[in-house]
Amino acid sequence: MSAALSRGLCRALSRHTAPSSLLLGGHHRAGLSPWFAPVMTLKTSAPLRAEPKKKKKVDPRREHMLKERMRKKLKKMEKVAPEFIPLDDLITPTKCLDETRERSAPRLSFGESEGRALLLKEWCRYKQEQHMAEVQAVELALEAQREALEELKLESEELYQAALKPDPLLFPFTHEGPAYTPPKSKYEAPDGKYNDITKVYTQ
Amino acid sequence: MASRSLLQFLSGFSRPAVGNASLRLFSSTSVCRATLQTHNVIERAPSPWTLMAAVCLQRLPVISADCSPIEQQFRQMMHQMEQEKSLLSDHELQLLEDAERMSRKQADDYDSDREDDHGDQEIVLAQDLEDSWEQKMKSFQPALRVTADADQDLTSSERCLADSLVLLAEQQVGGEPLWLLPQARWQEGETLRQTAERALASLPAGLKATFLGNAPCGVYKFKLPQAARTESTVGTKVFFFKAVLSDCGGPPAGPGGPLLWAKKGELRRYLKPAYMTKVDRFVLGL
Repeated sequence: MSAALSRGLCRALSRHTAPSSLLLGGHHRAGLSPWFAPVMTLKTSAPLRAEPKKKKKVDPRREHMLKERMRKKLKKMEKVAPEFIPLDDLITPTKCLDETRERSAPRLSFGESEGRALLLKEWCRYKQEQHMAEVQAVELALEAQREALEELKLESEELYQAALKPDPLLFPFTHEGPAYTPPKSKYEAPDGKYNDITKVYTQ
Repeated sequence: MASRSLLQFLSGFSRPAVGNASLRLFSSTSVCRATLQTHNVIERAPSPWTLMAAVCLQRLPVISADCSPIEQQFRQMMHQMEQEKSLLSDHELQLLEDAERMSRKQADDYDSDREDDHGDQEIVLAQDLEDSWEQKMKSFQPALRVTADADQDLTSSERCLADSLVLLAEQQVGGEPLWLLPQARWQEGETLRQTAERALASLPAGLKATFLGNAPCGVYKFKLPQAARTESTVGTKVFFFKAVLSDCGGPPAGPGGPLLWAKKGELRRYLKPAYMTKVDRFVLGL
């Protein structure tokens, strides 16, 4: 019943509007557009007529652009700078800050502390002499090599050029350094087990 | 006479003409210059010095050197200072705890219930652990640092493990046997380093060495006495190459000239003075 009433009402309104629009069309003034219907009549524009909305082509693209921008912003916010790998050597373990571990500092007599200071100075002098001797020895050796190369150049050019060439087979060069006791011949080292607990960090 | 003078005059002219020609050639492209130079080299008389290459084979120290008195004193002092500044370790804390517990047990009013006990477990004292470690260390016998017998044997490469040794060989030079670094004569078509390697290979003992680079480390010029000098030979130039002993495999002594391993201080006893001054410079006694 209500539907029939509404339909009747719509038809009446449309009949009303048609002559009104004609009238308007007759009294057309400059500046009036078909959009601006007078306030008195009921607005019966496209939305009221319940027609399916025409999708404009620009909108999906705009929506797409908006979504892209939002996604990029989210990504930027998620990007955190990679954490630095902690250097285990530079972190003091908390065990060392324990107060119960401190030793009682011994009292040194004046003679002892004097002796220590004097020994340090002597050591300084000894090490300096050692270093100067080392530097001199190296300089002598370099001088000897330079002379040898000069003499070789006087002898023959091609031997000199062959001597100047770097030796590719020399490096990598390894040599086991001196230990406290010489190596034992026929020594069988006991097998040992160990658990490798080194921490491996990945960025 | 006039003809002779004319000839001389003409010859005089021809020489500068040749000179001019060479100058003109020089002024042209560098290729021509290079060819001219090589031409000159081939034309140059062979040098009057005979070339030889010698190898300075060193056995580097195997054990650390003994400390000098000041080094010993300093080491003791540093040890004391470091111990004073350090913190107590876990083991030391355990020792202190154990000592406290023992003293509490000895006390008259000992209450075993008060102890936060470990039940019926046997408590291993830290002191016992220390003793067991000491026992283990005593059961290991390291090789001796200094063996007086080996030190005296000049031919063995195991002597004086704390110093670096240089190999000397007694070779015939000009009819006389002389102690010197093993050397060999240079032959056409090989580099001096190959000559040095040949010198090392020619020695009876099977010694393997790593040569340090292609360049010689020293040179020794020896002029023959006036009587022995000829037009082609004025003397010899010996170039030294350094090598480090890598393997002492092979028979210890074989036929051939005697070999010696000498410390830097002992070289003076065996080498001639002039030779010694040259060798002394590149054999580092560090």
